Amino acid sequence: MDKDIADFALEYSSSKEVEYAEVRAHREDRTELVMKNGALDAYVSMVDRGFCVRILAGGGIGFASTNKWTREEAKAIVDIAYKFARMAKRRDKITFAEEKGAKANWKVEEKEKAGDVAPETRIKTLMEIDKELTSQGVNVAARMFTFEVSLTERYFSNTEGSVISSYVPRIGAHGFITVIEDGKPEQAYKQFGYAGGWEALQEWKITEQMISEARVLQRVIKEARAVKPGRMDVVCGPNVAGIAAHESCGHPMEADRILGREMSQAGRSFIFPGGPYWLGTRIGSPVVTILDDPTVENSYGYYEYDDEGIRARPRYLYKNGVINEFLHNRETAARLGTRSNGASRAVDYDREAIVRMANTFVQPGDMTEEEILEDVKQGIYMRSFTEWNIDDKRFNQRYVGREAYWIENGELKHSVARPVIETTTQVFWTAVDAVSKRVEYSAATCGKGDPMQGVPVYTGGPMIRLRGVYMR
Amino acid sequence: MSEAIAKTEEIVKKGKALGADEVIARTTFGQYRQTRFSNNQIDITVAWNDYVTDVALSWRKRFVATQIRNFQNIDENMKRLFEIAKVSKENPTYGGVARGKLRYQKSKADEAVGGLENPAECVFEAIEAARREAGPETDAGGILLTRLEDVYLVSSEGPIGEDHRSAVELSIRASSQREASGHGVECSSTLKGFDPARAGRKAGEIARLAKNPEAGVEGRYDVVFDPLFAGSLLAMWGSMTSAYTVMVQLSIFVNKLGRKVASDIVTLRDVPASYSVGNRVFDDEGVPVKENVLIGNGVLKTYLHNTSTAKIYKTETTGNAGLVAPTPWSLEMDPGDMSRDEMFHDVRRGLYLTNTWYTRFQNYATGDFSTIPRDGIFLIEKGEVKRSWKDIRLSDNALKMLNNIAGISKDRQHVHWWVEADPPSLSPYILMKDVQMTSPHT
Repeated sequence: MDKDIADFALEYSSSKEVEYAEVRAHREDRTELVMKNGALDAYVSMVDRGFCVRILAGGGIGFASTNKWTREEAKAIVDIAYKFARMAKRRDKITFAEEKGAKANWKVEEKEKAGDVAPETRIKTLMEIDKELTSQGVNVAARMFTFEVSLTERYFSNTEGSVISSYVPRIGAHGFITVIEDGKPEQAYKQFGYAGGWEALQEWKITEQMISEARVLQRVIKEARAVKPGRMDVVCGPNVAGIAAHESCGHPMEADRILGREMSQAGRSFIFPGGPYWLGTRIGSPVVTILDDPTVENSYGYYEYDDEGIRARPRYLYKNGVINEFLHNRETAARLGTRSNGASRAVDYDREAIVRMANTFVQPGDMTEEEILEDVKQGIYMRSFTEWNIDDKRFNQRYVGREAYWIENGELKHSVARPVIETTTQVFWTAVDAVSKRVEYSAATCGKGDPMQGVPVYTGGPMIRLRGVYMR
Repeated sequence: MSEAIAKTEEIVKKGKALGADEVIARTTFGQYRQTRFSNNQIDITVAWNDYVTDVALSWRKRFVATQIRNFQNIDENMKRLFEIAKVSKENPTYGGVARGKLRYQKSKADEAVGGLENPAECVFEAIEAARREAGPETDAGGILLTRLEDVYLVSSEGPIGEDHRSAVELSIRASSQREASGHGVECSSTLKGFDPARAGRKAGEIARLAKNPEAGVEGRYDVVFDPLFAGSLLAMWGSMTSAYTVMVQLSIFVNKLGRKVASDIVTLRDVPASYSVGNRVFDDEGVPVKENVLIGNGVLKTYLHNTSTAKIYKTETTGNAGLVAPTPWSLEMDPGDMSRDEMFHDVRRGLYLTNTWYTRFQNYATGDFSTIPRDGIFLIEKGEVKRSWKDIRLSDNALKMLNNIAGISKDRQHVHWWVEADPPSLSPYILMKDVQMTSPHT
């Protein structure tokens, strides 16, 4: 990328009557493979380079971007962003929470450089997964796999003296399979993500995981029994605990939602100024601490500085069951009289950075998984989920089990067919009485913003036990 | 020949000179402007300009693709792409791309969309309309988006064409109380007839009726779906007609061609007409788009195809490429014979649902799913709105719901918003029997 053009855009922005200006430039080298039912549909390889300016002027914000790297274009987008900022004519002027300029150059190390891995190797890796999966004696009637490598350089500078360069390689994969036995289909979706190099493949063990999923689906079709509705104990595996932490803690704790800025798309939050829930309100049991931490090494949501140049750190959202800290960017932090905690992310140079999660999970406890299960007389172990959703104030949610088992006197018995938890955020987190010490992360793509920005995150976490929740 | 076409053709020629069997290049000059607002004020206005050429190339049934930005580094990009093709893996199901000199309808963008001098005025017009309906305390948020795209497509197999597209969309959600909201949208390919206040009035009217909601009660109900909610349903059903989704079992329509999949009164089409924000004159292979009847009087008539999927199904392309996956452009449900009032009259005890979000499946092949109604949720008794509800979920089956459609309105609305009602559609009010609603257990 041509940093001189980006610097020129910032310099030109500074010549106008602005309260603040920043330039963010990206260069992304991206490859994506798509395979359907064993055939490689497409190998996509591209390089995208562009930059944006964001200007705060007259209490309004304007943003403009381009992928044309010329001084004329840089001037043109600065002029547009400045005009848009002035056009807002806000009653309540926008300000940004104070920060000192930062200078940094950071990168994620790769043990085995993903960019050096030959296309043949990438293709072979994907084909072998499919080949192994279809030779296990399970009728995996439909398979779709995608595989992505994204190598992203970013350059950020602002009128407060920040100059930050970064390099993040990310590897991701998705698998969606349909097993049909006795004429009945069951389906599973699995996502993998990693910040780092090709060594990710060793850690993921995609083939083993997808074969395991196929066998689970076969078992569900052939053996699973319906659950008798009623109140019972439920043990949620890391996959389920993770989606619950993401949906009913991470999202409602995003300060832009709390302030209404996402109201017409991703929605609001059950937490709002003057409402029954705020900082200090109990929302779960004392064993529940949920954090969002961008600094988990090699995590899919890893970063060291956010897209406003703020140093990343762990954020303790629910702490010992109490609402503790919102996710902020500089705009929301200023409105709520605090400091940004580095949660501002943009998926690309042509999107504004907004408040986002990174890696959201329940803090591990001190129990083994055996100890958690052995104290359940009758209940369900929901190891993974299929359908899930939550209302747009992030209070009423539903998780449907994909791999689930009946527990009797601490022992796993038969498979259970699609058990359903449908409850509220407060009931869910208040029912938790035990948390395991072992953590297992799941990769996900979190959607928010308009236009939609899907950002890489980890969910997952430890195993958790809920007492006396209604299942059907 | 325009300069853009000439440069796009240059890319195709480079690909052929390298030895590619087929090359398609599609250049898009896009100009996008969006104003986002909340709490009755503008939060940000953004502009993004895109100068991009999507290039796809095949060599001995190996299919690869890239993007070239602003016509930079064409030689380097094409060489790299061809090298990847040479080491890629043959796809036995690849069926090539469209051939021949094809003719397209003349397209004309409304340049006034790009010249919308003060988008803030449109935004404030919508907000004020909502406040007039729902009261001065009303809190509104949403987006105004304008889109101008000049698209130039050249294929080594013959197709060559230009498409000039424009769209303007306003989406507004208004809250009269914390848990009482309504949503309205206004979508058009031109500024002519674009009426921001209409969306604001709709959002405000629903927000006013939605005041003081009570927790909803689980059960099976007859439901009247507003066109905005119906837009989400049409998008769900329409996307499942893509042959690609059928092949990977992301569809309720597997093995159902020619079979009854819906109530007799249901006819669903894909119509990328000039009024729609999804308008276009050719698909990604350069095939002229056309109207396709997906479901005709309740019977599944066709899947949506590109050349490759059409060969697999021994049929013709429907003009819906997607180079990898065929996709619907803009859906229409044929109008019925009922008015909205007649639908309400037919409901002794049921619901009127105005919008939804977060639709997720347990199983796409069987169609078991749930979605969460938002904004106005109303209990209807003896044909009249009796109460405003909240906190319920539609938990049912996508195929069963198609079969339970009992009424379709004469009036339809062009709707599109965010990722929930996408692709865009021309959606009626729909009356559906026996819909399962669930609620959270506390």
